[in-house]
Amino acid sequence: MKFSKWIDKRAGYILIIPAVIFIILFSIAPIVGSLRYAFFDMQLNDQSKNDMYLSSNVNLALNQETIDYLRYYLDIDLDSVEKEITIDKIAEIKLDIDDLEKYIANEIATSDLKAIVKVNQKDQEILVGKQQYILRSLEELYSIDDEFYSPEDTLAVASEFETTIIKSNFVGANNFVKVIADKRVRSTLKFTLVFTFISVFFELILGLFLALIMNRSFKGRSLVRTFSLIPWAIPTSVAALMWSYLYNGSSGIISKIFSTLGLIASPAAMLNSSSNALWAIILSDVWKTTPYMALLLLGGLQVIPNSLYESSSLDGATKFQQFRFITLPLLKPSIFVALLFRTLDAFRVFDLIYVLTGGGPGGTTESLSVYAYKVMFSQTRFGYGSAMVLVMALIVGIIAFVYIKALGVDLIGEDSR
Amino acid sequence: MKKFLVALMILALTLSLIACAPKADEPEAPVTEAPAEEPVEEPVEEPTEEPVEEPAEEKTIINFAVQADSTPALDKLIEEFNNKSEKYQVKATIMTNDSGQMHDQLLNSLSSKSGEYDVISMDVVWAGEFASAGYLQTIDKLLMDKGWKPTDFNAGSMDSGKYKGKNYVLPYFPDLGFIYFRSDIVSEEDAQILKSGDYTFDDFIAMGEKYMGQDGTKYAYAYQSKQYEGLTCNINEFSSNWTDIEGGLNYMKEMMDKGLTPEDILNYTEGETANALLNGETVFARNWPYVNGMLQTGEHDIKIDQIDYAPLPGGGTVGGWILGINANSKNSEGAEEFLSFISGPEGQKINAMEGSYLPGYNALLEDKALLDFNKLLSNEGFQNALAGTISRPVVPNYSEVSDKIQINTHEFLSGNGSLEDAVKGIEEALGE
Amino acid sequence: MKKAIKTSTLLKIIIILYLFIILFPFLWVSLTSFRPESDIWSSNALNLKGMRFTDDNYAKLFKTTIFNSLKNSLIISSITTVYVTLIASLAAYSIARLKFKFKKLLTVVILATSMFPQMIVVGPIYRIFVNLGWTNSYYISLPYSMLTLPVAVFILITHFSQIPREMEESAIMDGSSKINTFFKIILPLAAPGIFTSAIMTFIGAWNEFLLSLTLNTDEMWRTATVSISFLRGQFEIFWGQVTAATVIVTIPTLIIVILFQKQIVSGITSGALKE
Repeated sequence: MKFSKWIDKRAGYILIIPAVIFIILFSIAPIVGSLRYAFFDMQLNDQSKNDMYLSSNVNLALNQETIDYLRYYLDIDLDSVEKEITIDKIAEIKLDIDDLEKYIANEIATSDLKAIVKVNQKDQEILVGKQQYILRSLEELYSIDDEFYSPEDTLAVASEFETTIIKSNFVGANNFVKVIADKRVRSTLKFTLVFTFISVFFELILGLFLALIMNRSFKGRSLVRTFSLIPWAIPTSVAALMWSYLYNGSSGIISKIFSTLGLIASPAAMLNSSSNALWAIILSDVWKTTPYMALLLLGGLQVIPNSLYESSSLDGATKFQQFRFITLPLLKPSIFVALLFRTLDAFRVFDLIYVLTGGGPGGTTESLSVYAYKVMFSQTRFGYGSAMVLVMALIVGIIAFVYIKALGVDLIGEDSR
Repeated sequence: MKKFLVALMILALTLSLIACAPKADEPEAPVTEAPAEEPVEEPVEEPTEEPVEEPAEEKTIINFAVQADSTPALDKLIEEFNNKSEKYQVKATIMTNDSGQMHDQLLNSLSSKSGEYDVISMDVVWAGEFASAGYLQTIDKLLMDKGWKPTDFNAGSMDSGKYKGKNYVLPYFPDLGFIYFRSDIVSEEDAQILKSGDYTFDDFIAMGEKYMGQDGTKYAYAYQSKQYEGLTCNINEFSSNWTDIEGGLNYMKEMMDKGLTPEDILNYTEGETANALLNGETVFARNWPYVNGMLQTGEHDIKIDQIDYAPLPGGGTVGGWILGINANSKNSEGAEEFLSFISGPEGQKINAMEGSYLPGYNALLEDKALLDFNKLLSNEGFQNALAGTISRPVVPNYSEVSDKIQINTHEFLSGNGSLEDAVKGIEEALGE
Repeated sequence: MKKAIKTSTLLKIIIILYLFIILFPFLWVSLTSFRPESDIWSSNALNLKGMRFTDDNYAKLFKTTIFNSLKNSLIISSITTVYVTLIASLAAYSIARLKFKFKKLLTVVILATSMFPQMIVVGPIYRIFVNLGWTNSYYISLPYSMLTLPVAVFILITHFSQIPREMEESAIMDGSSKINTFFKIILPLAAPGIFTSAIMTFIGAWNEFLLSLTLNTDEMWRTATVSISFLRGQFEIFWGQVTAATVIVTIPTLIIVILFQKQIVSGITSGALKE
């Protein structure tokens, strides 16, 4: 009995905890993870930057591979060289290599000979000294006029010694500074803002207009509502693919119609010129989300009591006056919620552009999300990409904050009265 | 007491749901998904100790990450290997056909030091990046053990996978860009000039103007000019391997302005190019050897006897796919066995005979059965193209470089940027 | 009288135009999916006269793995729907009705995560999945919570707050525990709202692209949205097959929309309906 009371007292926590756990595991933890990357010059396809290093390290596996290769090439050289002095020099270098191997085994390596291990300043200097000595000896060796297998290859292999030393790649706020200075960030941000503003503007105007129409009673109203859901429910990637067919230059019907109407120079110009491509993307987005906007606003319209309209028309108010003084003010909360949702969504646009134009032509339709995706997953610059996404999240946060504060919308409704 | 029980049940329910729900729904976990830690290596040792009763069960799985193959060659390769090998069973993980996307996915997997793929198929331009990143095992020891020399294989493929004096790859199938042209439209005389490769882009444009419109054709030349990797290959060819970037860009623009290329050439990839050729819309088309396979099927408007082949004036870009072994593979012995099968004479012959791919093992270029089967290999124009190939830069940050080249070219061609800026931008990208 | 007729005619025209614009792309794509590939490319591709029809594209499409992808989408979306709806109901009730410390903070945290660009979680989640060996599996349903959970919680808060308080108050007076009250009294009353949230979750999961693109790379594990975007391959584009796939992938969506139109509309508007 006592225990059940204990539970009952904490029912609020108990019920919310599963959701919180999920949010922590799959949202917060990854976000914090990304936050950490943003302070490192982390680049996954670079051996010396593919993790977060706060101090100097040695890549033992690569060092060992380099040693093995040098021995292998030197042995081949031994078969072909003719002069006594060359043979002596090779023997000497091989001793130096043995010495390097021994030094690592005794002073640096831990149990795992293939690991990446931390190394202090003094050991690092000795190690680099030994590696450099071998490199110089090799250069001397190949300056001797003799028959060698492939000096370029051997020297190229030896140059990998440099890569074995991993320096700290902590860069503090450097990535953020770079993001702000990045010209491509600026142009993608500009494009994203233009796209967001224009498409949300049209969606709101058209959506409001349609909501007013759908609010009237007419035959087949529920049918119209059902059809309105279709564009919204189609996956964005599928819709984008569909539009890319309708826009294509040789057999796309929309591009054909537009060029016949004289809106674009030729069907091919639909996705070829940057301004047309922008409008093409906006059109697809407006097509996909205006019905959604209309339904959202329709919900708001339906809770406005009819009596208000009736009494005002008794007072002789015109339709426009009714719209201006009753509908708009009462619809305000719905409009703000709709605007907030849509602005945030449009600002993060990814699937639509990724599938429809891929950012082309000439990168002019690249949104921030698409650029961030390319930086992180094609160029694997995770540190820089994370900084970029964080800046983006900050902008999203600012937009949301401005909306919520300026418009006084109680989004959460947490006061349970 | 009852309330207590209910409360406890709810708690248990939520916890169990969090912990197990998806697990219970997942009866068909893939074979390769075995926890990475211990069990994977076991079977390697077992067969030698125990009597081989159920060999199929005892085989170690080798996971091969590879793009989809529209020909039967890949299935045949794997089948042959699995029949032959006593210890290993190859399972192909089919990745996307969009090479940019496949690059990103592989990079993701490799950079997380995952051993999920043992053998990896790569576009030639990725090898520099993957090798410098330490994702790949070197194969010099494998070559030595097998008694092979790097020169036994296609030079372009091997060069693309040689980084800092070490070899990392063997060829899967080499590729090169060249011109397909309508031999039923182009005069005998011009055809000879084309096939010799001894002509300039000015000559080419003149020929385009001469033949365009004949026999229902709408354009003279179709090539790849969408903003993607294919554009880098084409500007490489137009600029004669980056020696004349300004000239190359001018040729591209001139063709567009004269209407020699399709109006939406800036959206053209290999797909559109092939369609334009196969539907009889263009006289000349730049593409890879795979189109010849499509021609051989005879399913299209244009038949194979209407087509001949010629080298590009500035040389054809080397492309194709190469194979490497994941440095974190848990079955590197098996991976080596499969790699040497598929890139060796046996596998390359299957690939060439079943899929009409170019063989990457040089000795096969003299193989009589193969030459009889694939007429392309003995065609004079094609052989000249094969002799004059050019490559793209081998650098670790290739995708960044290529991205910049594409953007600069595309901006100029679409009329959004000046020639000077484009040339400067490309030179900067190449200089990095 | 005359004026009324005029407005109603105008209304009709606008509505018909609207329906036409909404449906046209999909109808045209459906039409294309039944045309031979060579016609789609030919110069009179847009000529309605003399159009030829075939089921070739579908026959070819059925040979690809599109059905397997549909199955994956179905399973992954179902798993997501079940667990997300369950935990979202618990959380939403707790937020809507119970009093406890840090409620406001926890609520903001849950809802605010939906504002983050999805891009930011993909990298770290990928690394975790690789370490656990969870890539190419149905485990992908778990991170789908990032997208769907906040929306579900949001919808359900609205619905729970609309349930009259008297019902549960009297139950609690009778000595029933809060959790007991939730399951016995509130849940049945909130069933329509829960259903709405389940549908919205399902659609959200069905439409997901980025996580699926990154986590399930193997052809056998791909979801429908990713599969279809790959049909437009690099070396060949078969618009016939692409359009046929569009039709097939859209059909489940259409069925859901037609069957559950009311619930979906209520899900969409639950944000706007706050007094």
